[in-house]
Amino acid sequence: MSSNHTELTVQTFVDVHAIQQELEQVRWGLQGDGELTEAAQHAANEARASVLNLIAVVANEAEKDAVIQVLDRLSVTNPSRTLILLAQHTKGADKLEAQVSAQDRTESGHRVTTERVILHAHGEPARHLASLVTPLLISDIPVVLWWPGGPQFDHPLFDDLCHLADRLVVDTDEGFAQADLRRLLEVARREHARASIGDLNWARLIAWRHVAAQCFDIPGVLDDLAGIHGVSIYHGGDGSTAQASLLGGWIRSRMATVGIEVPLEFRADDTFEHGICRFVIYTSGDDGPGRFSFTRLRGRRLSVEIRLGDQELARRTVRLEARPAEELLGIELTLPGHDVLFEEALAAALR
Amino acid sequence: MAQAAAPTLTQNILREGLILSRTPDPAVMVIFGASGDLTARKLMPALYNLALNRYLPSGFSVIGVADTPLSEDDFRAHMTDAVQKFSRTQPVDRAVWQSVAEGISYVRMPFDDPDAYGRLAAELERMDRERGTNGNRVFYFATAPQFFPVIVERLGASGIARAGGGWKRVVIEKPFGHDLKSAKGLNQTIHSVFAEPQVYRIDHYLGKETVQNVLVFRFANGIFEPIWNRRYVDHVQITVAEDIGIERRGKYYESSGALRDIFQNHLLQLLSIAAMEPPPNFDADTVRDEKVKVLKSIHPVDVVNDVVRGQYGPGWVGGQQVPGYRQEANVSPNSTTETYVAVRLKIDNWRWADTPFYLRTGKRLPSRASEIAIQFKSAPHQPFAKTAIQGMTPNVLVMRIQPHEGASLKIAAKIPGPVMRLRTVNMDFFYGSSFMVESPDAYERLVLDCLLGDPTLFAREDEVERAWGLADTIEDGWAAQPGPDVPNYPAGTWGPEAADALIERDGRRWRRP
Repeated sequence: MSSNHTELTVQTFVDVHAIQQELEQVRWGLQGDGELTEAAQHAANEARASVLNLIAVVANEAEKDAVIQVLDRLSVTNPSRTLILLAQHTKGADKLEAQVSAQDRTESGHRVTTERVILHAHGEPARHLASLVTPLLISDIPVVLWWPGGPQFDHPLFDDLCHLADRLVVDTDEGFAQADLRRLLEVARREHARASIGDLNWARLIAWRHVAAQCFDIPGVLDDLAGIHGVSIYHGGDGSTAQASLLGGWIRSRMATVGIEVPLEFRADDTFEHGICRFVIYTSGDDGPGRFSFTRLRGRRLSVEIRLGDQELARRTVRLEARPAEELLGIELTLPGHDVLFEEALAAALR
Repeated sequence: MAQAAAPTLTQNILREGLILSRTPDPAVMVIFGASGDLTARKLMPALYNLALNRYLPSGFSVIGVADTPLSEDDFRAHMTDAVQKFSRTQPVDRAVWQSVAEGISYVRMPFDDPDAYGRLAAELERMDRERGTNGNRVFYFATAPQFFPVIVERLGASGIARAGGGWKRVVIEKPFGHDLKSAKGLNQTIHSVFAEPQVYRIDHYLGKETVQNVLVFRFANGIFEPIWNRRYVDHVQITVAEDIGIERRGKYYESSGALRDIFQNHLLQLLSIAAMEPPPNFDADTVRDEKVKVLKSIHPVDVVNDVVRGQYGPGWVGGQQVPGYRQEANVSPNSTTETYVAVRLKIDNWRWADTPFYLRTGKRLPSRASEIAIQFKSAPHQPFAKTAIQGMTPNVLVMRIQPHEGASLKIAAKIPGPVMRLRTVNMDFFYGSSFMVESPDAYERLVLDCLLGDPTLFAREDEVERAWGLADTIEDGWAAQPGPDVPNYPAGTWGPEAADALIERDGRRWRRP
């Protein structure tokens, strides 16, 4: 992939107008004197396509490098203007630096250029980076704020950036405790600086939700769903429970739409270190007690087993993708507006 | 605590928010012609990729049917090889493929042997019993077209077409018939066993993402529809150009020609999509009703003046010397079969009256391109000096199907400088530059739609018959007059001179795609 990726230009600026000018130049391929660079001449032959503005907030240089790699790969599916903010308000004297660059990708057979601005601020400017971000956004396309790492609700930039963003994407697998999940839900529901919420951890649950839903598409089995009387979720022993909570919240919130309250049971299972290991839905119906088991197997697979009464109705193995961050982020970026299903699952998980 | 009575669920509420609103019912797909190329190259890779994305239901099964001497293990091994070789996603996930392969069996039988259908019925019953497929069947005809009628009749006579409850669907590959009469005959035969809603006639063009995107482009963007009519559009050009020859299909092509191979299906599908009225919803019959209305509105074709046919001679394509059509394998050295057709059509309705549609398709043209080009009328008045607008052409909106899927709009712009001089420039949107993800193969979409019982992207009886009616009119017109001396265009050119004359008579020119 790297062979298809060309860095066109990198310059350092401190003035917003200089940044804007450089952005225009890398976007449209102009050199300072209005001449086309060689790369830009090539760029001029094909259309530009930007589907969103993406703001990523990182805590340190190491995280910045990791995020850049994810965003480079993301740009293959979501060409965007990317602003990476490294805001260190507790560090040293005031400082504000910007690096503008353009990345050139050809994986699709077309030349696609995306721009990236890295804003690095210390001291007081770090508290006001949102004022620099606003003029750098491309108009008329959505603004997504990706905040990797742990919960940062008290970060000085949090509310200002939420105010700018149409969507806030976090990863609740990064150490979100119940209290953090509660605050996340508040962001989606508050009056001021409200952003719709995306969660990479929720995107990881798609396969689990998909296979669980499929079981009840089997003719005659839907009635058993109405007889659901319990759910057990087994999770890894490392103490991280957000994913299990969301899965439990999902089924609880879905069943609540038809007036069924589902008791949830969570158990740690030390055979896996992290994530959901097993998910069992217990039902009762005309064929006797039902047991729908979904077990994570080594090698990214999910075993599905359905027993109704003393009969095994189905058993199969399906793929459980280990999606990289850019793919999870890509899934979240395709969802328009509030992800009501997620917010309801989150709310139900917190009940 | 006493629990309240469970409510009755009418839909699977766990489905909400997932891509598919439901999983297809467990079913058996019976593939007739299972040892052939289509099964290996398209169907089995499509089924594997559907399974990979968890779109196939638990219990989904396949019975391969062919007269090739293969054991069940041989057939499964052959399918495994095919998936490894032709799947668009690599490497193949062995566990997922294994779960598909477990449900594959093979029945060796001649398609016309009535007794053999008893064995097929027994195998289907076994599948129902062991895999919970509940009598749901897709009968996929991946055979040569001459076997379609006999298979349908035997499925009817043996009772397989109705046995075991559940739904039954039949998928029929193109060509659907050879002319209107044979298409009607085939429809009649099929309808003696299957009702129209059970019939899925495949034109794989409709399964292409980019063809579906034409519908989105037209009907999801408010800016185009108001100008998509005779008032603003000068004419429309629809091109399906191929740079390849007939490959190894000489025998088939001799009896088909470009008119039957491409014009009757792909070109008329593109015409319908480009010219149809906005459907009120995306239901199968609503969309197909609108497409059929277009075909019904086509003005009777004047074959002498509005149709040109041609055949390629030897020439050079892409820097390579290639033989003429008559020199291809399994082609008569005196063949007059057309490898090129250009047709001028008019559509008699309020939207398109007097707006010509120029359709063309050909083999061994200089490049491969499928596109719909909407050429708009010139601006009613030019305030610029004549010298400023020399060489200017009117706006053209091109929807490219393949390659380089996307859209281009040709617009006028000022050339920088102290004087007013204008130049035409292209504003391009490349589908692949905004959505750089790999699209599913057309067969994945179509097989899944069939399993879900959604025939929107399949041709309906009246659609197919209307299209054949039009092709027959042209064929009959050709039969009534001497044909051109062929070959009449060298490989690597854009067709016969008569095709240029056809459009130039109207003061227009073919686009170079």
